Amino acid sequence: MTLPGDPTDGLRIVDLAKRYGTVVAVDGLDLSVPAGGLIGFLGPNGAGKTTTMRAILGMVRPDRGSITWRGRPVDDDARRLTGYMPQERGLYARMKVREQIAYFGQLAGLRRSDAQARADVWIERLGIADRADSLVQELSGGNQQRVQLAVSLVHDPELLVLDEPFAGLDPVAAETMREIIAERAAAGVSVLFSSHQLDVVEDLCDEVVIIADGRLVASGLITDLRSASATRWLRVRWTQPVERWTPVVGHVESFDGRTALVRLGRDADVAASIADALSAGPVSEVALEPPRLDAIFTELVGSHPSARPETTGVAS
Amino acid sequence: MIWIIAKREIVTRSRSKAFLGLTAVLFVGVIAVALVQLFVNADDEPREVTIGLVGSGADVSGALELGNDDLDPTLEMVESVERGETLLDDGAIDVLFDGEVLTWKGLPDFTLDSYVRDSVQQAAFADRAQGFELSDADLAALFAPVEVGEVRLDGGDDEFGVRIAAAGVAGFATFMLLQIWGSFLMMGVIEEKSSKVVEILLSQVRPSTLLAGKVVGLGVLALVQMLIFVAGLVVGLLLVQDIAIPGSVWGSVPLSVLTFLLGFGFYATAYAAVGSMVSRQEDATSAQLPVMFPLLVGYFIAAASFNAPDNIAVTIGSFVPFTSPVLLPFRAAMLDVPVWQLAVSLLILAASTVLMLRFAGWIYRFSILRTGSRVTWLEAWRSRRDPVL
Repeated sequence: MTLPGDPTDGLRIVDLAKRYGTVVAVDGLDLSVPAGGLIGFLGPNGAGKTTTMRAILGMVRPDRGSITWRGRPVDDDARRLTGYMPQERGLYARMKVREQIAYFGQLAGLRRSDAQARADVWIERLGIADRADSLVQELSGGNQQRVQLAVSLVHDPELLVLDEPFAGLDPVAAETMREIIAERAAAGVSVLFSSHQLDVVEDLCDEVVIIADGRLVASGLITDLRSASATRWLRVRWTQPVERWTPVVGHVESFDGRTALVRLGRDADVAASIADALSAGPVSEVALEPPRLDAIFTELVGSHPSARPETTGVAS
Repeated sequence: MIWIIAKREIVTRSRSKAFLGLTAVLFVGVIAVALVQLFVNADDEPREVTIGLVGSGADVSGALELGNDDLDPTLEMVESVERGETLLDDGAIDVLFDGEVLTWKGLPDFTLDSYVRDSVQQAAFADRAQGFELSDADLAALFAPVEVGEVRLDGGDDEFGVRIAAAGVAGFATFMLLQIWGSFLMMGVIEEKSSKVVEILLSQVRPSTLLAGKVVGLGVLALVQMLIFVAGLVVGLLLVQDIAIPGSVWGSVPLSVLTFLLGFGFYATAYAAVGSMVSRQEDATSAQLPVMFPLLVGYFIAAASFNAPDNIAVTIGSFVPFTSPVLLPFRAAMLDVPVWQLAVSLLILAASTVLMLRFAGWIYRFSILRTGSRVTWLEAWRSRRDPVL
């Protein structure tokens, strides 16, 4: 089933706002995911990510703003083309794996036979064929996560909304998840996923949206955000250990005797810093690079990506 | 979509041991009731008893061996009191009479006791009559029975037992099934909420659709069990052949099914709503109290009114939607209720069920995605202007 509308126009959120009593969850957020786009959705706990995702799925009625899919407000039909993986995973514990995946396929509008066939495809793909007739409660945590993923994919969604899909995954499952997300995006599916594991985000997607306190902090290509950053990292490696080095400019982030990592302002005198490093001993390697995503995140949001929320919001 | 959800409920629950066990118990129970009914009605023959007579007890044997509608006595002459006591102990005789004293093994059998005393009295009358030189004709004239007629303002109610059976099935089955299936539905709602699977469900279907699917699914199963009850009642009624079955009793059969369906819609959604307000199975018992209480009130009114169903509590209760699912079929089976009253009561129940569907659906929508502490009634009330969904 494909809905009318411009297929190149994906998910578009404009001026989304939602408050729970006195707690502001989302406050005028703009966000868009083009068709085939793969967007990392970042923000500290309590920033409003889950509320935004629930609003896309129609589980939260926004106080303000619009959410459109292919230029039309998201309705029940559009939601059936959406695959959702909530942060708090949930399955029927006493239902068999294949039945369960097929059931959710039917709820998304597939015919019974199609739902069963699609369930089998994903069971095979995710390597849980030998557990297809087991009850979900008999499965290991990792395999339950695989079933959860199959549930969000069984109806071949055109939009994937994944809330912390990598949380709690074993390395093998995480690799499978990474492959599948990349593959779906390449197939033209719009993917919005949140994660606290910024190395994974940086590895997987080109574009991110960063929010804090319900507001947009930054969005765009990761490379653009990095080059726009007000800091640079200077890495110096000496040919032999040096006892101590205190640079004239910048702040030493790490120093282990042979290698130092220094954070500089973007307009700092790099040549002076390098000269300064040379004065400490012969240097074998010098690199000047923009900060990694986690450093940008800390810079923009003022806290580490996995920091606990300061206040206890109704929803994160 | 509703049917897909309902079907899952039906398939998974009808496989469960709890459902199969409950249905088996119901089935056996209903058949047992029907058999008891048959047995009780077939038992019109006088009961056989054996009376042991010793010493001067034998003098009244002529009067004792006559028997009556209730008893068919056999007399056994015993040579000594000791021997008689042995026979009593062995159960070979039911009572021992020596002309003055009745000896029982344990508690006296009241029917037999009064039979022996009456017979002794009769024999004594006959004996004393001879002292007055009365002829047999005089004696017969003296003891000629006086006919005392009887008029019953209720027109006679031989079918009282039938009415009680019908009212019992209608009222008790409705109460029990609403209670059981309401709890099942509530547990299902709590299970979906506590396992978080509801968030995935609600990403595809509206809360009202999900709730409707669950109510329909469990409603079908509950109706199957109700029909087992009703079938048992009908079989029972057909077995009772020598009593005219009043039309109101037959009428209470479809009425029971109709009120059950409406009552199920009313109570099941209420149970679902309170289930959605808690996050843990442990809180279920206290959460369901406000819903269970009115249902219990209806049941207790019915249970206390079998002997006098024409009381004000039953009458009012059969109109109040909280109690009418139990009391309306009860009252209709026990009494001849005017059709307009049945219609008014059903209309009130139907309208209340519609209101309850809206009210419960609204609480459910608000509460089902709220995690953490229990949703209070105050929060739920305030939420009416700020729906989550």
